[in-house]
Amino acid sequence: MVELNRRRTSAAPGPERARMLREVPSFPAIYAAALRPRPGMRRSTELPGTALGVSSVRIDAQRAAAFDHLMGGPATELVHPGVLHVLAFPVSLALMARGDFPFPLLGLVHTANQMLQHRPVRVGELVDVECRTRGLRPHRRGSTFEAVSTISSGGEIIATDVSTYLAKGRRSGTPGGDAASAAAGPGAARPSGTSPAAGPGEEPGERAPFTAPIPTGRWRLGADTGRRYAEVSGDANPIHMSALSARAFGFPRAIAHGMYTASRAFTESRADLTRPLRWDVEFGAPVTLPGTVLVRYEEDREAGSTRGIGWRPATGDRPARRCFTVDVTALR
Amino acid sequence: MTSPASSSADPIEPLGAPAEPAGPGEPSRPASPGRPAEPAGGIGPDEGRSALDLRRTPEVRDAYVLGGNRIPFARAGGAYAGVSNQDLLTAALDGLVARFGLQGEMLGEVAGGAVLKLAGDLNLTRESALGTPLDPRTPALDLSKACATGLETVMHVSNRIRLGQIDSAIACGVDSASDSPIEVTPRLRRLLHRLNAARSLPQRLSVLAGARPGDLAPVPPRNSEPRTGLSMGEHQAVTTAQWGISRQAQDELALASHRALAAAYESGFLDDLVTGYRGIGRDTNLRPDSSLEKLASLKPVFGLGSPAVAEPTMTAGNSTPLTDGASAVLLGSRDWAAARGLTPLARVVDARSAAVDFAHGEEGLLMAPAYAVPELLDAHGLALADIDLYEIHEAFAATVLSTLAAWESEDFCRDRLGRTAPLGSIDRSRLNVTGSSLAAGHPFAATGGRIVATLAKLLHQRARETGRSQRGLVSICAAAGQGTVALLEADPA
Repeated sequence: MVELNRRRTSAAPGPERARMLREVPSFPAIYAAALRPRPGMRRSTELPGTALGVSSVRIDAQRAAAFDHLMGGPATELVHPGVLHVLAFPVSLALMARGDFPFPLLGLVHTANQMLQHRPVRVGELVDVECRTRGLRPHRRGSTFEAVSTISSGGEIIATDVSTYLAKGRRSGTPGGDAASAAAGPGAARPSGTSPAAGPGEEPGERAPFTAPIPTGRWRLGADTGRRYAEVSGDANPIHMSALSARAFGFPRAIAHGMYTASRAFTESRADLTRPLRWDVEFGAPVTLPGTVLVRYEEDREAGSTRGIGWRPATGDRPARRCFTVDVTALR
Repeated sequence: MTSPASSSADPIEPLGAPAEPAGPGEPSRPASPGRPAEPAGGIGPDEGRSALDLRRTPEVRDAYVLGGNRIPFARAGGAYAGVSNQDLLTAALDGLVARFGLQGEMLGEVAGGAVLKLAGDLNLTRESALGTPLDPRTPALDLSKACATGLETVMHVSNRIRLGQIDSAIACGVDSASDSPIEVTPRLRRLLHRLNAARSLPQRLSVLAGARPGDLAPVPPRNSEPRTGLSMGEHQAVTTAQWGISRQAQDELALASHRALAAAYESGFLDDLVTGYRGIGRDTNLRPDSSLEKLASLKPVFGLGSPAVAEPTMTAGNSTPLTDGASAVLLGSRDWAAARGLTPLARVVDARSAAVDFAHGEEGLLMAPAYAVPELLDAHGLALADIDLYEIHEAFAATVLSTLAAWESEDFCRDRLGRTAPLGSIDRSRLNVTGSSLAAGHPFAATGGRIVATLAKLLHQRARETGRSQRGLVSICAAAGQGTVALLEADPA
């Protein structure tokens, strides 16, 4: 909680000013912009100081219902927090697609996500969205930073969504690299520097061998999983859409959207949407498509929380790999 | 129609009256129509107080099982391929009507159901009943609770009889795995609805443009739990491993089921319970010549590759196959039966249902009856050993054995049931004495009726032979972590 409070404070509008967009930008335009060569444009070594915002965005009831259905839940009047995430996502992407952003958009890896929702949100509500980036830190495999989206209504913050991204290979922000990384930041708790390099798509936090527990469920994910999530989220990142488009970006197969797995686990955790809640997600190995994910849910009734973990089952001599850990906690 | 007031001929002997203490061999009566009082120390309810509750509701009378009829159960894709749920249910009802001379009779209600049900079969039971010689003014209703459907229809109509709302009824159930509904994808369904609503050709073309080849694939019924993606067999395989149920114990239970059902056919016990249909006279899954060697030669089919199952033990031999079939049970008040010269076989005493949280792994999918049975026994001040005959539905041999193991487990009974001692073990010679689903097969909604009619006849026979009241327990597990259990009792006279 202390950690979360600290983040909320720093997420409050700071000295930077928000530039307002007239509407939520479209994904294809953002991706097209991100791919467009920009001769002469120099990437900054610092995160942009500006924020991007959109006022009065309506939470579309049909889209929320489609989102609920894809996650295997009933279409509810109170929106799934994943809907708030996808609502704000294009705005934060637009911020990260800028030519002077320190990292290219299409190499970023979503490693963690935290959402704090202060009150239930109804479908059809009008909300204001504001996105900024912060917390650039060196990491043993590059740099990490956070994209923070605030969903508010009439000046009251409804939800804060913090997405942590890893930009591989480019250690920026703090001079001194490993030394600084060992001293502070999320990488501090992890072994850094000298361990054997992880393979393509392997994420931090996977160093300790994963022992698969007894699953309580199984997801059989079809090859169209990424396309179906793209339909409800708008996020048509080519690495999720098909094996062919994924190969163009260096992935042997399409991979599931991390937020699809996290949102489905949120639904399966049976959260009480009438209460304030926090939704913490840590991503591990990518979920390749088509594929099978085993899941296990465990409830801590005293804490009012449910933990869901998902993993790729062991096959042949390949060990099981944890793909995500999702904690949903009802707040008092 | 008999009014509640005129039914006072039905004897009401409250349990706990000083002249009639409850004890082994003594008739036991429903203690309370509602939930039981909080058991003292988790062992038994306050019987005296429950009896007072009964006196305050004198209109409750007894409901009796008067008989039953079913058609032979057939393995899916076999003898009943090509006939529908309605065909099968009508056949079972027709046989019951013929056996008990119910032609032209207006009954209080026919309650039935099917698990795999076509959307067009919304009035399946009514339509089936209309196809029989019953008075067409007999009302009907459809009920649904997965594999507990049949037992729930029995409880529904017996509760109505007990409350005096009706005097007679048929409880029935049917399923056809051979003719299970095949649907279109949700996307195609919505597209067709939009197409229907479109008013112009351009609108229709724009709707059609949204169609994709994948939308056109037919959707058969899912064989997995919607919330876990695991099949019932995969769920049970985990429970089986957790309780350490051996392959041999499962095969022995399966063999016992086949032998007992074969013996029941040979002895003529089933002659007034089963009517042939479509050229078959016996359940086609029955293997009278099965042996432990044959069962041991079968390959495990569930729990393969599951990290929770070190050694898979569940085979096609100790699991029930997909089956087609239908069953029906006739129930009535004592007066109604007497007016028609019918013999009450057994009283429907009481029932309980329970559900478990299997989705978050707290309990095994099919373990709900392990919770419902102790609650039912407590409500009547009975111990597990006070039951004369046990009918535990054999979804899988391992389901029965896991349930029995749970009741024998001190840890389970303390931690999960809040009891100071294990519920206990049962005399296995009193379990499924004429065979159960492993031998007969399991057309989901028809199983409850098969068990209730069989048990009522058994209890009635034994009460006459022994001169003592006989109690029978029915325990049925169901999909989605549910279970329904019931208590029947037959008197010697």
